[in-house]
Amino acid sequence: MEQPTESSPGEGSEIILDDSRFDVSRKVLLTDGFMTWFIKFGGVMVVAAVIGIFVFITSQVLPLFKGASVELDAATTTTEALPKGNYLGIAADEWMEKPLAIRDDGKFIYSDLVTGEVLESEFDFLEGDKMTALRIESGEDLIVAGTESGQVHLIEFSYSPTFKDGVRTVNEDLNLAFTGEFNGPVTKVSCGQSGDSRLIAVLTETEEGPHLELDLVQRKKSLISAGDWKEVGKTDLTETLRSDVAVQEILVTNRADAVLVVFENGEIDYHFRSGSGLNTELRQTFQPFADLNEKKIKNADFLLGDVSLVLTSPEGVNRLFSLYRSEEEPTRMFHQTKEFPALPDTPAFYSPSFRNKAFLTGTSNTATLRYATTETIRWESELPWEVTHALISRKSDSLLFLTEDRHFVRVPVDDPHPEAGIKAFFGKQLYEGSSEAKYEWQSTGGSDDFEAKLSLIPLIFGTLKGTFYAMLFAVPIALFGAIYTAEFLDPKNKVFIKPAMEVMASLPSVVLGFLAALWLAPMIEDRVPSVLCIVVLVPLGAFLFGMLWSRQPRNIKKYVREGYEFLYFAPIMLILLFLGWQMGPLVESLIFTVKDPNTGERVGDFARWWPSITGTAYEQRNSLVVGFMMGFAVIPIVFTIAEDSLSNVPDTLRTGSLALGASRWQTAWRIVLPTASAGILSAIMIGLGRAVGETMIVVMATGNTPIMEWNIFSGMRTLSANIAVELPEAPHHGTLYRTLFLGAVVLFLMTFLVNTIAEVLRQHLREKYKTV
Amino acid sequence: MTNTTAENTTEEAVETAPTTPEGAKLDYIKVEDFSFNYTPEVRVLDKITMDIPEKQVTSFIGPSGCGKTTLLRNFNRMNDLIPGITHEGTIHIDGQEIFDKKLEVISLRKRIRMIFQKANPFPKSIYENVVYSLRVAGRNNKALLDEVVETSLRGAALWDEVKDRLHDSALGLSGGQMQRLSIAHAIANQPEVLLMDEPCSALDPIATAKIEELICKLKNKFTVIIVTHNMQQATRVSDQTAYFYLGKMIEMNATQEIFRNPSCEETERYISGKFG
Repeated sequence: MEQPTESSPGEGSEIILDDSRFDVSRKVLLTDGFMTWFIKFGGVMVVAAVIGIFVFITSQVLPLFKGASVELDAATTTTEALPKGNYLGIAADEWMEKPLAIRDDGKFIYSDLVTGEVLESEFDFLEGDKMTALRIESGEDLIVAGTESGQVHLIEFSYSPTFKDGVRTVNEDLNLAFTGEFNGPVTKVSCGQSGDSRLIAVLTETEEGPHLELDLVQRKKSLISAGDWKEVGKTDLTETLRSDVAVQEILVTNRADAVLVVFENGEIDYHFRSGSGLNTELRQTFQPFADLNEKKIKNADFLLGDVSLVLTSPEGVNRLFSLYRSEEEPTRMFHQTKEFPALPDTPAFYSPSFRNKAFLTGTSNTATLRYATTETIRWESELPWEVTHALISRKSDSLLFLTEDRHFVRVPVDDPHPEAGIKAFFGKQLYEGSSEAKYEWQSTGGSDDFEAKLSLIPLIFGTLKGTFYAMLFAVPIALFGAIYTAEFLDPKNKVFIKPAMEVMASLPSVVLGFLAALWLAPMIEDRVPSVLCIVVLVPLGAFLFGMLWSRQPRNIKKYVREGYEFLYFAPIMLILLFLGWQMGPLVESLIFTVKDPNTGERVGDFARWWPSITGTAYEQRNSLVVGFMMGFAVIPIVFTIAEDSLSNVPDTLRTGSLALGASRWQTAWRIVLPTASAGILSAIMIGLGRAVGETMIVVMATGNTPIMEWNIFSGMRTLSANIAVELPEAPHHGTLYRTLFLGAVVLFLMTFLVNTIAEVLRQHLREKYKTV
Repeated sequence: MTNTTAENTTEEAVETAPTTPEGAKLDYIKVEDFSFNYTPEVRVLDKITMDIPEKQVTSFIGPSGCGKTTLLRNFNRMNDLIPGITHEGTIHIDGQEIFDKKLEVISLRKRIRMIFQKANPFPKSIYENVVYSLRVAGRNNKALLDEVVETSLRGAALWDEVKDRLHDSALGLSGGQMQRLSIAHAIANQPEVLLMDEPCSALDPIATAKIEELICKLKNKFTVIIVTHNMQQATRVSDQTAYFYLGKMIEMNATQEIFRNPSCEETERYISGKFG
């Protein structure tokens, strides 16, 4: 204590020189410790949140790419075998609790998979007759049976559940709806229903040979009951049969508009019924396996919707034929659309799904679940039983097999997203009814047999299109604006302009979208020539004016203070804007003329001229509107960041360049711009990110049509808008729901990719143009 | 002052004196009653009157803040970039009033080149740095540019060091090389006057010696004005020396005269290191 007092004579103060001057207060230490941990915690939480989002999105998306899971180990089987005999067909209830098997003697035998019991129904429609033909139209809950005496019976089967103490009991019911009379023993039958009429196709064996007849029956509904089925008329198609080839199978579509006759030589006749009467025409004869040695068809049946035909040859070759109209044909015909891997052996069973385009087929000891649209095998396995019949449940949640030893086996299936897959999302797909493979997005439709078209390509395309037009408009304006503000404008004015632009950036995009959809789009709709005039006039005027101005001698220029030129420039631009707008109709009537169909005179009409010249559509809500409005949203961001990076270029470079005799423009263009290029690239990329992810403007102003063309006068649908538009319609954990999440992943990957490339470029530019 | 410096000074004085061409104007740059304000309250130059001779090296010395750099920057109107400046009086260079409204400032800067305290090469290659002033003048002839690069770099005594890497970034050069590169691109377009604002203040003695040697050669072709804080440098390189203090020019004379026999007391106090 004494020494310091001596060493600093005259200033000795015991209080100041107290040892406590080296102390650090507890408060400082505590705050420092707390803040260190708080910041660490915050940082970790941010990283955790981001990872959490990824984990969640991935968990939502991954199930889309899984195959079907069929648990053979979890099979439920009947303890009791069915009575001995030859079983021709099976049907089942919605829950697959009480499957029905039909024996060749016309007996209906139910098995209860809950109790394991077997019950023979007392239902008897034959009354001594002998059953000679049977077809089960599962989709219509209908059994069609033909007899030796020439009778055809339509038997409706139904199930009704009753609940007692929360336990479900399924009660079966059979009802003979109609009996028709034909000449000779019936050998093949089939039936299709359309509203209140049914079309029955019947093949009978008479002394003169086989007879093919169509029988139309109708039901008159009354107020109290559904009414009885009454025969309306018959028509004879015997002429179309081959004399030397026997008929193997008859199929009637469930819209009752077509009859397919499958012959034993592998040919198929396609008869089309037009209208509600009995007029039919033979539209097409085709041989699906014409290119193979074995041309025979072993199995032919429809997929859900009865537009596609699944055909299997005796050797197991599995093909899909669909109805569509090709360019050279006047009507829809069957064409091969898909080919599946062949079955290992002769097919033993076939069952279409009731929900989607899946089907179950297989040999006696293997089974495979296939999805028609994506041409994929969802599941494939050897079976521990010999199988004669199989059925997919109505809810597609289980498979039912009838084994060789007459036991029913029910196997649970889990295949929630059969229509999904890499190919469905990113590849060209040939959809049912379409003549060529294409990228298509159409997630919902009006009917049950509608298949969702889930290609993300049109959406990715739409995103790129919207971004392209927005950037085309925004980048030049924002960058030149930034250069002007940073390099030429008087700093006093910059103080106002910069914050004004930043306020513009915070405009809610829903406001911009609203303006675009309800103000800009209708205004531009019939003034496109005006917009074109402005696009040409304003930049041209700017160049001319700038050139004239720079050519003026100094004694004229001296009247305008440097940095205030815009005061003279702005009114000229406004006048040009006005002129361009007014010139539009004149230009339209001179250049964009079309022939008026009513008067025959040529009138100016851009909306009709554009489609007549380019063959593409002209829509009110088009890319021009979106590009303009989204550009408006992007400009402030690009402007602000670019202006900052330009202003951050050291002044020494600027003075250095000016001192070497460069003009201000040369300095800006050759020195400042390259030096700031890294920052400008960032600005453009952030603007790009904004445009890619922008939702409200595109939802409101694009029309949301998922089309794939660059046409500036048509709309688009972007990934982000798609999520916004469809999420309310997507059932939780459904395919669409997960596909929308996949859209989000794709959107993320797109921005990630763009940002990564931009960052690499930016680092490179930064290295190249770093200043000393 | 050591013996060696004194010898050097005399040697160079002997060497350089005859090289001044006959008929060189003694009032090539004529400053008359020139005052300069950054803001109305801050006057940095107060009624300067001086004549700067052609094809000689004139050095401006004086303590920090005395206005010597401001005056230098006025010669090619670099101060124009600063908002709020005002000035009175005139500066004529070769008979041309530089504040004339009709005068194109860019062409003025092409005649009167400035080299800054700290070299700031552009983020371009050495080659592009040297030819920058030609390129902005719209002269893009490859053969011409190649020739100018070589003569300028030779003129700036840099050619041998960089001839193998002309297309490398100029940012990879050392501090001394960068400063000589600045000189090279300043002389590339053959200006008339070179203004140097403390060109060696950031350099080590070896680099400084090279630059000084270069300055002595440059005065054969150009009128050089150098602002320096280094009194020895002023004696080594300059023919004329002007001493500034608090915005006024106190004294201007031949360098040997001003260092041996200053006429003002303040000058003597400054050059002998009593303050500064």
